[in-house]
Amino acid sequence: MVHLTIDGTRVQAKEGEMLLKVIKQLGIDVPSLCDHDAVEPFGACRLCLVEITKQSWDGWKKYVTSCLYPVEDGLIVNTQAEKVVEARKTLIDLQLARCPGSPEIQQLAADYGITQTSYEPKIDSDNCILCGLCTRICEHMGFAAISTVDRGPDRRIASPLDEPPPDCIGCLACAINCPTNVIPYTEKGNKRTIWDKEFELITCSKCGRKTITRDFARALSKMRDIPEAYFEVCDACHRAETATNMGRIAGWSRREEAAS
Amino acid sequence: MTNRFVVTPNLCIGCRTCELACSFRHSVNGKPGQTRIFAVAGPMKEMWVPVTCLQCEDPACAKSCLVDAISRNEETGAMEIDQEKCVKCMACVAACPFGCSIHDQQHHMIVKCDLCGGEPACAQFCPTKALVYQPVGSAKPKVVA
Amino acid sequence: MAITKVASPKDLDKLQKQCQTEQDKHKRKLMVCCGPGCLANGAAEIVTEFKSQLKKKRIKGFSVEAMKETGCHGFCEQGPLVVVEPQGTFYTRVKKKDVERIVEETLRNNKVVDDLLYTAPDEKTYRDYREIPFYKHQKRIALRNLGHINQCDIRDYIAVGGYQALAKALNKMSPSKVIEEVKTSGLRGRGGGGFPAGRKWESCARLEERPHYVICNGDEGDPGAFMDRAIMEGDPHSVLEGMAICAYAVDSSEGYIYVREEYPLAVQFLQEAIREAEEYGLLGDNILGTDFSFHIKISRGGGAFVCGESSALMKSVAGEVGEPRAKYIRSVQKGLYDRPTVLNNVESYANVPVIIDRGGKWFAKIGTETSAGTKAFSLVGKVVNGGLIEVPMGTTLREIVFDIGGGIRNDRPFKAVQTGGPSGGCLPDDKLDLSVDFDTLTKAGSMMGSGGMIVMDEGTCVVDVAKYFLKFLVDESCGKCTPCREGLYQLYLLAVKISEGMATENDLDKMEQLSGVIIDASLCGLGKSGPNPFLSTIRYFRDEYLTHIRDKRCPAGVCKALITYEVDAQACDGCMACIHACAANAISGKKGEVHTIDQTKCDKCGACFAVCNRHAIKVA
Ligand SMILES: Cc1cc2nc3c(=O)[nH]c(=O)nc-3n(C[C@H](O)[C@H](O)[C@H](O)COP(=O)(O)O)c2cc1C
Ligand code: SF4
Ligand code: SF4
Ligand code: FES
Ligand code: FES
Repeated sequence: MVHLTIDGTRVQAKEGEMLLKVIKQLGIDVPSLCDHDAVEPFGACRLCLVEITKQSWDGWKKYVTSCLYPVEDGLIVNTQAEKVVEARKTLIDLQLARCPGSPEIQQLAADYGITQTSYEPKIDSDNCILCGLCTRICEHMGFAAISTVDRGPDRRIASPLDEPPPDCIGCLACAINCPTNVIPYTEKGNKRTIWDKEFELITCSKCGRKTITRDFARALSKMRDIPEAYFEVCDACHRAETATNMGRIAGWSRREEAAS
Repeated sequence: MTNRFVVTPNLCIGCRTCELACSFRHSVNGKPGQTRIFAVAGPMKEMWVPVTCLQCEDPACAKSCLVDAISRNEETGAMEIDQEKCVKCMACVAACPFGCSIHDQQHHMIVKCDLCGGEPACAQFCPTKALVYQPVGSAKPKVVA
Repeated sequence: MAITKVASPKDLDKLQKQCQTEQDKHKRKLMVCCGPGCLANGAAEIVTEFKSQLKKKRIKGFSVEAMKETGCHGFCEQGPLVVVEPQGTFYTRVKKKDVERIVEETLRNNKVVDDLLYTAPDEKTYRDYREIPFYKHQKRIALRNLGHINQCDIRDYIAVGGYQALAKALNKMSPSKVIEEVKTSGLRGRGGGGFPAGRKWESCARLEERPHYVICNGDEGDPGAFMDRAIMEGDPHSVLEGMAICAYAVDSSEGYIYVREEYPLAVQFLQEAIREAEEYGLLGDNILGTDFSFHIKISRGGGAFVCGESSALMKSVAGEVGEPRAKYIRSVQKGLYDRPTVLNNVESYANVPVIIDRGGKWFAKIGTETSAGTKAFSLVGKVVNGGLIEVPMGTTLREIVFDIGGGIRNDRPFKAVQTGGPSGGCLPDDKLDLSVDFDTLTKAGSMMGSGGMIVMDEGTCVVDVAKYFLKFLVDESCGKCTPCREGLYQLYLLAVKISEGMATENDLDKMEQLSGVIIDASLCGLGKSGPNPFLSTIRYFRDEYLTHIRDKRCPAGVCKALITYEVDAQACDGCMACIHACAANAISGKKGEVHTIDQTKCDKCGACFAVCNRHAIKVA
């Protein structure tokens, strides 16, 4: 166990744990846009910036991104230091300039008292904040269907050659975890389309409800050795099956009890 | 794990108290949440079965999770979803052969039975003892036919 | 010639004697510079011509083998260069047609071809290059062999004592003694950061985890810089030897040289050099007959400036996308493949053999207290003598710009010198007497960087300079983190706004505030030093910024939106030259009459200004 002080509160944390986690557990509001427990810390949005020091540092202070700074014994953390708050505000202002049309960023900006960006807003923005969650999650799940391309302000998320990504299995994890909800997809009948690639949704063989894509189910059964048949029925019909089976067992046990 | 669910379907009267209890125990922001247990109508008339996760030995939910968000709570024996890790891909919902990983559409979360940390509310509140949570190997509840 | 492996220090001594004898056969040698600058000016053609002339003419006492294709000799401005040694006869701007004369006159008749000699701006002509001020004020350690040996010939390198330092380290010194020696030398990293090399090696050596890696940073991304390229192409063995010594010190058996994508010749020569060194048993398994083995591989750069940053470089070597890693763990600890890794710059390694050979104390005496040794610079811009130079640390900027560089071209006033590459800074004339060393430059708001030095005259606008470097950094930012990607971009847009006369003084405050955030919040060194082009110019040239803002005027006459071209009626003789030159058809007037410029049509390209012989076009 490691002992540290966050905004005046003395806390304990597990060795190797990242500062941001401990901060959030304390209920302190430190914004973070690129952090997700499913993937390694990335340090792209820089909003989780905090000021740290130690008794032994002689008043010297350091500014670090808490999402990837492991807790240390004796650390004194200030999440609301003037410089930190100013930096956060500027960073949000910059993001708002990049994504002027994003309701999520507008809200975050409003929380920091910014109604309009003080910088040059991007024209025709796709409202992607380049947190990289989509690509990182996709890669971590084992598909790596999409990636970042280009540099600097031109950096963007794309499929290889901007064509329907061959490795995409249509799980939607990218779109669902996008903090600004900018990855479009559509569902119509048993068709799902994302990244311009069309997928067949599995139709429950009992009730006709749509579940995951056929490609995803195949990938899962191959990667994790799960019988493909499991995926033919939706969860509600699986429960109904379970009830039926259990009822049967119960029926037998009633007869058994009557006999005894 | 020393305790487990014992389900006696012929005691179940379909009152759905278990669902209510689960819902309240898993409330979100003070409002009742998604139930993880379902009183499902059985194959025969007037016959109900409380269906919830039985915390399989080698669970399909955990196997199917590509980000390893589902793991066993060693204290309670429950397979739990780490909500911070879950990427909501629905793999476990599709994979569980008992239909016990559930998509909470209202809060857009994937949920499942977590044994309420060791004291499942459903069993506590079941009026007929169709559902009990008791030490493995202890006597079956008395059947009230 | 069959090669027998060098299996002991004695073998090496013997081989060195052999190689020296080979060299001594030639009473005179002909050095043809084949460095980057001279090659660009046609050195390859000159080499071919010399070969054919020498074959044709058969000069007594001079064989083709006495001609060397050397690395950059330094005075690129005057290239292609041809030097006859040992006299040091120095021929400049040599063309193909001059080759025959050099062969006939100098090689056959021992006479000097006067018109090819170097004439300084003060009309003084020099025969021996060592007398020329450009060379006289230099001290060469890292560049010691450039211009003096065949670019890629291990026997030439061995003849001048090559690999002796490695032999000394392996046989007479323990790894910790080697580290001690490098620490004593005070050698600091030449790639920008200036971190003490010995301390870096020591922290790596101490780590238990294996394997350890040794990497050489040859990414050299700074625009206009070519010190590292010159060394990799002109003296590749010095880099290999330095790396091998480092590998011995930190117990590594695997090394990589990361070479910038745009340097195919460096890749070729390094590869060649590695092959040769392995053949001679000076690299590879059981070096010099000991049980120390070290293999070097070449890794080709990812083609982005940011790939030179240590964590991005290591990812790139490992075959991943070359993006900086965001972790608070030093790369010495978790570097390549997360293993302990020493990364040093090309020039840093090139210094190492000399340090081992002559001792750390000797090296420490050169330079200043905190910055030992010398530093190579590529001196470019508006100086008279541009080229590759090496000076002891502590030399003043004035000495570099005026004594070595020969001052400003066309006798225009000096304005600033930019050091430290794109994220370095500009220093004005009252900083000319500052000593060039790591700490002084940093304190003055610039930095040593990897050794680019750009001299600017009055015709340079600092806003334009800031704009140029900011644009470079914006384009080269990997775009991973917000402050660097968005912040530098907005900073650039604000600089553009100033150059267009659209900015207010508030914008300056905003730029200063934003710069602070970018520095504090950026993930890697690129962002952390990204606002420097702005910060260092605003620090010393605030007035010039204010003139752009308040008076909507660009004093240097560079920012297009703020200047107008006008015809001086007194001087114009109506020659129509400008009318023909103007692509925008903005100039009218009959032959012999005063011309006029239609300001609404003028797109300020400056073509009229350039063609007017009577200096009748005025910039306001
Ligand atoms: C954006 C960026 C670009 C860099 N480019 C180079 C480069 O081209 N060459 C180099 O040697 N070091 C470069 N560096 C410095 C390296 O990260 C590293 O400090 C250096 O290679 C270490 O070697 P040294 O200690 O011998 O200087 C760069 C750093 C940053 C932040
Ligand atoms: S698309 Fe969404 S998830 Fe992906 S980088 Fe952009 S903002 Fe992040
Ligand atoms: S929905 Fe959540 S728990 Fe299920 S597989 Fe996806 S990430 Fe894992
Ligand atoms: S959450 Fe830490 S940098 Fe984005
Ligand atoms: S390239 Fe010939 S002098 Fe530099």
